[in-house]
Amino acid sequence: MKKPSIVHIQQMLKDQAYISDDTIGMSIYLAMQLSKPLLVEGPAGVGKTEIAKVMAKALNTRLIRLQCYEGLDSTHAIYEWNYQHQLLYLKMSENEQSALEELESHIFSDKFLLQRPLLEAITQKKPPVLLIDEIDRADEEFESFLLEVLSDWQITIPELGTIKATSVPYIILTGNRTRELSEALRRRCLYLWIDYPEFEKELSIVKTKVPQIDTKLGAQVCRFMQQLRELNLDKTPGISETIDWAFALANMHLSHLDKEVVESTLGVVLKDWEDIRHAKDSLSELLEKTGVSSRIL
Amino acid sequence: MAIGQLPQQTELSGNIVLLCRFLRHHGFRLGPTEASDALTALSLIPISNPRMIQQGLRVVLSRNKDQYERFVDLYNEFWERMKRDNQSKRKLNDMHESSRKKIGQEPEPSLQMLKKWLYSEGETQEEVAGYSRMEVLSKKDFNKMDEDELRLIMRLIQKMVRLLTHQQSRLRKATKLMHTLDVKRTVRLGMRRTGDIQRFIFSEPKNKRLKILLLCDVSKSMELYSRFFIYLIYAFQQSYDKITTHVFSTAMHDVSKLLANYDFGQAFELIAERIPHWSGGTRIGQCFHQFLMTNPRSMDKKTLVMILSDGWDTGEPALLKESMSIIHKSCRKVIWLNPLAGHPNYRPEVTGIQTALPYIDHMVAAHNLESLRQVLVGLRGSFRSYKAKAKIKGISSA
Repeated sequence: MKKPSIVHIQQMLKDQAYISDDTIGMSIYLAMQLSKPLLVEGPAGVGKTEIAKVMAKALNTRLIRLQCYEGLDSTHAIYEWNYQHQLLYLKMSENEQSALEELESHIFSDKFLLQRPLLEAITQKKPPVLLIDEIDRADEEFESFLLEVLSDWQITIPELGTIKATSVPYIILTGNRTRELSEALRRRCLYLWIDYPEFEKELSIVKTKVPQIDTKLGAQVCRFMQQLRELNLDKTPGISETIDWAFALANMHLSHLDKEVVESTLGVVLKDWEDIRHAKDSLSELLEKTGVSSRIL
Repeated sequence: MAIGQLPQQTELSGNIVLLCRFLRHHGFRLGPTEASDALTALSLIPISNPRMIQQGLRVVLSRNKDQYERFVDLYNEFWERMKRDNQSKRKLNDMHESSRKKIGQEPEPSLQMLKKWLYSEGETQEEVAGYSRMEVLSKKDFNKMDEDELRLIMRLIQKMVRLLTHQQSRLRKATKLMHTLDVKRTVRLGMRRTGDIQRFIFSEPKNKRLKILLLCDVSKSMELYSRFFIYLIYAFQQSYDKITTHVFSTAMHDVSKLLANYDFGQAFELIAERIPHWSGGTRIGQCFHQFLMTNPRSMDKKTLVMILSDGWDTGEPALLKESMSIIHKSCRKVIWLNPLAGHPNYRPEVTGIQTALPYIDHMVAAHNLESLRQVLVGLRGSFRSYKAKAKIKGISSA
């Protein structure tokens, strides 16, 4: 397959309603051209996972997702032998008196191999997008498993031998920096850091995702969020929270923000009671900075 | 045309290699692979657009957030310097060598102090003198801490924490290591499936992971040490997930999240900014009482309580006694790290310590690394397995 040019990719992101800056387009382009995984880091809710989803949609290919968690091991990520199936097969062939080697080579064949996301991703005909989500949640041992796949595009199964990739998948790794990733893994990837968006970018994202929103309200929401992120919060809200909030407010058919509305809907944006308390304490100041005057009755 | 392009390309590739070298001197870990990646990337980017080149190189050459953010400045600096001197290669090299020498000559003061503290094993007198110099250092110096050095302490504390908190349970769990056969489970699995033994199951002792509750005194009397304890608690918090840190002087504050989520300089500033009682008076009893009231479930028999304080208390001894007895009853061990206890003439005569002493399992000195190692040695008798004891011995003698 011919790999798309950079202009192409930027257009493709735009078509999928993913508002990005040039850097994101460039990273995706280089990752595809150099056939290297792209490691995307950034705070929660800035659209890291979304990149992979958009890519899969735009390239019209499968998205294979591997959600990492503590204790994730190779049987869940790479492959597993279908033990019950093998056992049944052995029982069934008990009377056939076939040679031991033959039997062995048969039960350790593709037929009894359960493919897990990583193996599945490299054995596709059309290169899929492989999303390895929240890689920093997985244990360090798991990273070592990944190295073989990421650099050589192959997986070694002791009973079967080495399986080479039929197509090289586009790999996106995401992380929240909950744990420092190993240098070996970083070396194999291209790196992209996505931060909270600037006001203009956030506004255009809101306008694209929630088209029914009042222009003034949209701008107010984004400005409020920008101010909110300045506070020292435990869980700083991301873009997804902005979109949720904008969606909620738009569906309430509001045309502007006021103190009461903000107070009653703050739970959409902040998910921690201490944060909510903190935000409520400094709400007047926040609204003043946002340019919303408190309603005078 | 091809001939005309050739020297230009070599120059570009030479420049890229130089850029890599320049970045390497600024802490980027780049090898020939990265340089060749950068060159390949350049061939894919429209060369006429300098912004795109910068973005592309940034994606290829940076490895983490810090590098990603510093890249643009370094990149611009590099090209400016390249412009400035015509004999770019030689001059750049000279520049780096001289800057390297400079770093070698005048290392950062905070770093040196920390190193000194870490490796100091000499007389206590000297160390006390070290502390007063430590105090003179401003906040800013702490921010300048070299990441590698911090990582070094981290690794050390990590080792300690692992030894402290990983305990062998009498329960066993399945393992792939073929050391001990678990007969029960092997037979049971066989019975459940076909009636004969198909697969051996091996087992090993389960690890219990203890929680740690750190209570750190930041009152006036501790001022000499508290900043310095911040290093310690920062390293603790970063190296273990089941750890909660509170600092106290006249009131208690939970700083776990601040320590866990920010880099060192930020965390330090935020803590100093958020905690109004920094370097205030000490009311240990009242603080502990308040802590127990607001966090009644913070301790259980799997919690190791570590108190970092000198024991100077201006509050009610009765309240301290009561709180300490509750803490003692509800946790696994109480370890008191006392910076004064390192002094050879030290006697626990302060009222605070006198009151608390019956409820402390281990009173240990915490004034240098050696004393911290003693924490491990002191604990090993009471709750380590035989194997782990040998390990600790290795560490403490190292």
